[in-house]
Amino acid sequence: MIGVQDFIGTYDWTFEYLRRRYGAAALREYWARSIAFESQNHAYVLIRDRGLSGMAEYWGHTLDSEQAGYRAHLDADFFRIDMYACPSLGYLLRIGQSCYADYCQHCMGWIKPIMDRCGFVVDHEHNHAGQCWWEMRAADSTPAGDAPPLRGEHDVRHLPGWRQARHDLWLASRLVSRKLT
Amino acid sequence: MAHGDFYFTLNATWYHFSDRWGAPALIEYWQALGREYLQPLARRFETGGPEEVARYWSAYFAAEPRGDVQVTQPDADTVVVDVRVCPAIRWLRESPAAAVHRPPHPMYCQHCRTVTEAMLADTSYRFELEGGDGRCRQVFTREKR
Repeated sequence: MIGVQDFIGTYDWTFEYLRRRYGAAALREYWARSIAFESQNHAYVLIRDRGLSGMAEYWGHTLDSEQAGYRAHLDADFFRIDMYACPSLGYLLRIGQSCYADYCQHCMGWIKPIMDRCGFVVDHEHNHAGQCWWEMRAADSTPAGDAPPLRGEHDVRHLPGWRQARHDLWLASRLVSRKLT
Repeated sequence: MAHGDFYFTLNATWYHFSDRWGAPALIEYWQALGREYLQPLARRFETGGPEEVARYWSAYFAAEPRGDVQVTQPDADTVVVDVRVCPAIRWLRESPAAAVHRPPHPMYCQHCRTVTEAMLADTSYRFELEGGDGRCRQVFTREKR
């Protein structure tokens, strides 16, 4: 049986299987269609119906259940997550598995299509070491132009280990840079 | 205990393959999963013998949410996994979020047989499965070579 306790390993392997068997576009389609609106349909329904507070409910419940090291903050204009220890990538790092070369990409792969459909945009950055931040805001809000300012003492960007490995940065749901720091 | 909502992801993945490329593609994917990804587990079973098979599945099902599974070893070469309540099928049907998800894939139960047969193809084990739809009996038998 393929269960949920070691699901992350199967998930990572499946990404690479889809890429090698059907191509990179097919992998993106899997995230955008079947993960966003089937696997995560409960998230989509919450966000569609309740907007930012639906995000807070979904991620609060899910990340608590996965025992993630994170902090979520619901503001009047945005919902923010600071992830200090991603449980998903953390599992792969612990067992030394890296079947698909860009595992972190899958989160934007399913979250962006949901936000697109619900009228939100995403600012996001991850460092491929289990740390990232997210801000979701209304699509018609003032464009950020640049990454948002530091958001207080809990901002993951304060961590000494934040600047490591490769960073991928999205602003207003568009990938704007992939760089080594 | 792992989060049961990942069963929705597995179910959505099975649907993705069959909706997009047909049932043969889903079976091909399961076979590759068993033949490639799960080969370290096959080697572990081969090295550790039926005792290791029993230990593995006892621990595995104990860590899956909301199942009822008993693992026994009626003789030195046989391990029986009696799935009285399959945790996956139960979650897909009864969890709070089940109402906004598709029902268990019509081929859901086939993944146990297909993945495990592919995984054990080059080992001394024979695998048999009876039942399905949330309740089944899986038998691992070590054969003399």
